[in-house]
Amino acid sequence: MANRTDPAAKSIRGTNPQNLVEKIVRSKIYQNTYWKEQCFGLTAETLVDKAMELDHIGGTFGGNRKPTPFMCLVMKMLQIQPEKDIVVEFIKNDDYKYVRVLGAFYLRLTGTDTDVYRYLEPLYNDYRKLRQKLPEGKFVLTHVDDFIDELLTKDYSCDIALPRIKKRWTLESLGALEPRKSVLEDDFEEEEEKEENDQDGLEDGALEKDYYRGRSPVRERDRDRRRDSHRHRDRDYDRDRDYERDRDYDRERGRGRERDRERERDRERDRDRHRLREEKEYGRDRDRDREREGRERERRDRDRGRRRSHSRSRSRSRDRKRHARSISPRRHEADDVGVREEPKKKEKKEKKDDGTDHPDPEIAEANRLRAALGLKPLR
Amino acid sequence: MIEVVLTDSLRKKVRVKCNDDDTIGDLKKQVAAQTGTSADKIRIQKWSNIYKDHITLKDYEIHDGMSLELHYN
Repeated sequence: MANRTDPAAKSIRGTNPQNLVEKIVRSKIYQNTYWKEQCFGLTAETLVDKAMELDHIGGTFGGNRKPTPFMCLVMKMLQIQPEKDIVVEFIKNDDYKYVRVLGAFYLRLTGTDTDVYRYLEPLYNDYRKLRQKLPEGKFVLTHVDDFIDELLTKDYSCDIALPRIKKRWTLESLGALEPRKSVLEDDFEEEEEKEENDQDGLEDGALEKDYYRGRSPVRERDRDRRRDSHRHRDRDYDRDRDYERDRDYDRERGRGRERDRERERDRERDRDRHRLREEKEYGRDRDRDREREGRERERRDRDRGRRRSHSRSRSRSRDRKRHARSISPRRHEADDVGVREEPKKKEKKEKKDDGTDHPDPEIAEANRLRAALGLKPLR
Repeated sequence: MIEVVLTDSLRKKVRVKCNDDDTIGDLKKQVAAQTGTSADKIRIQKWSNIYKDHITLKDYEIHDGMSLELHYN
């Protein structure tokens, strides 16, 4: 008797509004003492009083999955089905944050898509703290706007499955909603303008805000550093051009920090020179090899002959390269070889750790599942 | 490595291979992956003893081949 929905209530999403809550959770709520004692014979007005006494939100907790009073009140609202005006009043009220959140949750469950977005998005500006009860029984801190974000983006909250609503851009394209305007939009626009001015750097007090920024040395140094970093990336492509550019910029600026930058650049230039040399030599050797191989192919017709010449020329060229080069390129090669070996070793080790290549297919599959869940493999 | 059998009230059987130092929570995750329900909706019991999430199978003395009850919250 006490658990039946108001006969005058409309059906929501084609079903008894109380069916929005799953069977098991629903039975837990009906068996709860808070529901039996406090929620008996509640009307919309008395419900507000109970809502004002709320001090935490949450779903079911503990081993028995006991529901929180928040959930019991949501259930009660589903049972009596207050009118939309009352629910909007709940949301608009500023004094009691838990009443607000309760109204928002109810609207999310029962309202139309446009209503949900229209009434819940303003709540993004509410930064007040909320106490949330976790399924383990502990309390954790969250905020109103965090919770609203959960309601709008996830499809499960407080142990109740939230009904699916259309995406915002769908509603915008239908024309039912305007594009979202965030309260922080003005701040973002200011930030973007500031960044643009930095990059140009030539606007003389175009905006009043930038007057203190226009010619400060710190700002210009940052700009230079940014430009330098870009140049260093392009080093591999435009080496020669960069050397000249570096020299010119050094001449133009002549500031204290230039010395450090010059030293760094010199070091990098030296490294680059070595690399240039290596590549030139390698290129020359490659050309020589190709010529030799072509001649040998002409002479001999057999495949074996060709292969022999390939290997011979390669080994010869390798020896020549080794003798011709200085110490640093040798290190370069050794590093390459070492680096190649390590990832192979690492891959092998990872496979063994996971245990996904176990001979027994069942165990291998079990291990794959465990790895996906973040558990250690079977022993 | 031990294999545990979980039986539903609708006589659905789930066999899970696990280590004995896995916790009940880990076992629930594996069961959830096999049955398709969510891990926090599952309750593992033996008669009226509800098994807690943070305790290992070894501490509950769950051996190879033992059967447990699977309930839903």
